[in-house]
Amino acid sequence: MLVIKGLNAAYDNIRVLKDVSIKVPKGKVVSIIGANGAGKSTLLKAISGLMQIKKGSILYKEKDIVGMTANRIVGLGISQVPEGRQIFAHLSVLDNIHLGAYLYFKRNNRLEITERVHRIYEIFPILETRSKQIAGTLSGGEQQMLAIARALMARPELLLLDEPSMGIAPLVVREIFNVIEMLNESGTTVLLVEQNARAALKVADYSYVLESGEIVMEGLAGELLDNPKVKEVYLGG
Amino acid sequence: MPKLLSAVYTILVINAIKLSAAFCGELCLINSMEKITVTGQIFQYLITGLTVGSIYAMVAVGFNIIYNVTEIINFAQGEFVMLGGLIMVFFYAVVKLPLIVAFPATVILVTLVGILLDRLAIRPIRHPSVLTLIIATIAASILIKGAAMLIWGKDPYDLPAFSGRDAITVFGAVIQPQYFWVIGFLIIVVIALSIFFDRTIIGKAMSACADNPDAASLVGINVQQMILLSFALSAAIGAVAGITITPISLMEYDRGAMLAVKGFGAAILGGLGSFPGAVVGGLIMGTIESLGAGLISSGYKDAFALIVLLVVLFFKPSGIMGSIEISRIKRF
Ligand SMILES: Nc1ncnc2c1ncn2[C@@H]1O[C@H](COP(=O)(O)OP(=O)(O)O)[C@@H](O)[C@H]1O
Ligand SMILES: [Mg+2]
Repeated sequence: MLVIKGLNAAYDNIRVLKDVSIKVPKGKVVSIIGANGAGKSTLLKAISGLMQIKKGSILYKEKDIVGMTANRIVGLGISQVPEGRQIFAHLSVLDNIHLGAYLYFKRNNRLEITERVHRIYEIFPILETRSKQIAGTLSGGEQQMLAIARALMARPELLLLDEPSMGIAPLVVREIFNVIEMLNESGTTVLLVEQNARAALKVADYSYVLESGEIVMEGLAGELLDNPKVKEVYLGG
Repeated sequence: MPKLLSAVYTILVINAIKLSAAFCGELCLINSMEKITVTGQIFQYLITGLTVGSIYAMVAVGFNIIYNVTEIINFAQGEFVMLGGLIMVFFYAVVKLPLIVAFPATVILVTLVGILLDRLAIRPIRHPSVLTLIIATIAASILIKGAAMLIWGKDPYDLPAFSGRDAITVFGAVIQPQYFWVIGFLIIVVIALSIFFDRTIIGKAMSACADNPDAASLVGINVQQMILLSFALSAAIGAVAGITITPISLMEYDRGAMLAVKGFGAAILGGLGSFPGAVVGGLIMGTIESLGAGLISSGYKDAFALIVLLVVLFFKPSGIMGSIEISRIKRF
């Protein structure tokens, strides 16, 4: 579904991604693990169109999306949940959810939108009870759920998740990863980026290890879990 | 933030001080009135103050719309008001359109100027910082003022009042019907804007751009388009302010800077970014100015409002209705 070849990206001439090539097959969960500063967020931003690319190609359904603006890429079926729960802090929870379906409001289908909101409330019941609250006043875990909910409102075929476990209580992390599995079972392809390697490898089918902007290892997630090097560096021995 | 704001404000004030002597507006009218009771006089100052304040409030609302989407202070905001007045004069006196046709035609033309401002001065700047963009609006305002001088010359122009000039006398105060039009348009603008920002998805999308432009584009919002819309909207509101005030205080090419000072002052007084704040700030600025000029001395007219502004900012740096949390989040 997504094929990235020889991707290079830089901030002001400091190379952050060096010839990164990955594949995300349809219906799978692929994870990218790596330490802080490895370039994981940059990779996701390159896919979603927030980051300019120097060299390489990003094929989504056989179509090169390099150079397309972020607001057009969403329309193709790729939604990104940005790192650090970048919700619209001054708007209400429901407004945040509605804005997730921004592109579909234009086609004037109220019923469809209401139906999508109901589906979101089934997945994250807490958001229904908080629907009128200002999003910035939610707890960290709730904000992460809201960020995911907002991305789901566009009904993406490919969901990009940037460190959904960051700064969240373990119990909530489990809940969020359960949702990721559930979404995948119902047909959404997922590309998950995580420092929390153990959680990421458990939920993923296939995994890549990113170090200083380079893919240094890849394999089935189960195999990487048993790999001595991965164990030592990313799973705490 | 308060430091940068006061720097910006100083530039505006210096720009406008030359004009303050010339800008006397309808307040001179009051000074020529005699023999009315003290309550009547105070009532008169209040009504005049609220009318002028309504214009300041509209200018402040215009500042806020653009600021909320882009964090830019648009120095050309006052020029929209000036253009509103003078283009209306052109459509009415030269093209001879009836007022009711000239009004929307003027609003549309000034809106186009707002769109051009975004397209020609804001969007072409690569890697913009908020400060470069603000400087671009200063340049644009100088250009617009120069163009207006070439087109209309330096004379002030008048327009007929919308429903005549037969003043009504209430408690001894003389009220021109045009005052009601000005205050009425402020009410319409505020109601329309609150519906737009609270009830429509486009309005919400504009607020989303202000909160987090990257996240906004990730849900499919075209941020550039929203910025364009914010310039168009503020230009339209500026035009309405200019059209409605011209029958009261006339309009000439260089009025923009002064209006920008007062409107910007009103916006900070109320809390930059807050619409209720803009209205309250504008009305307070107008009323204090009018009372101060009438009761103390009209020579210091512009000083009164500025003193109040400084005092309020000293005690509450985020303005009357501004929230400290929000001002911390903003870069400017
Ligand atoms: N906006 C930016 N400007 C300059 N350098 C950046 C920027 N964002 C990230 N970087 C640098 O790029 C590298 C990779 O960052 P990032 O992709 O955020 O890593 P990760 O998500 O894996 O923690 C880091 O060295 C970081 O300092
Ligand atoms: Mg990151």
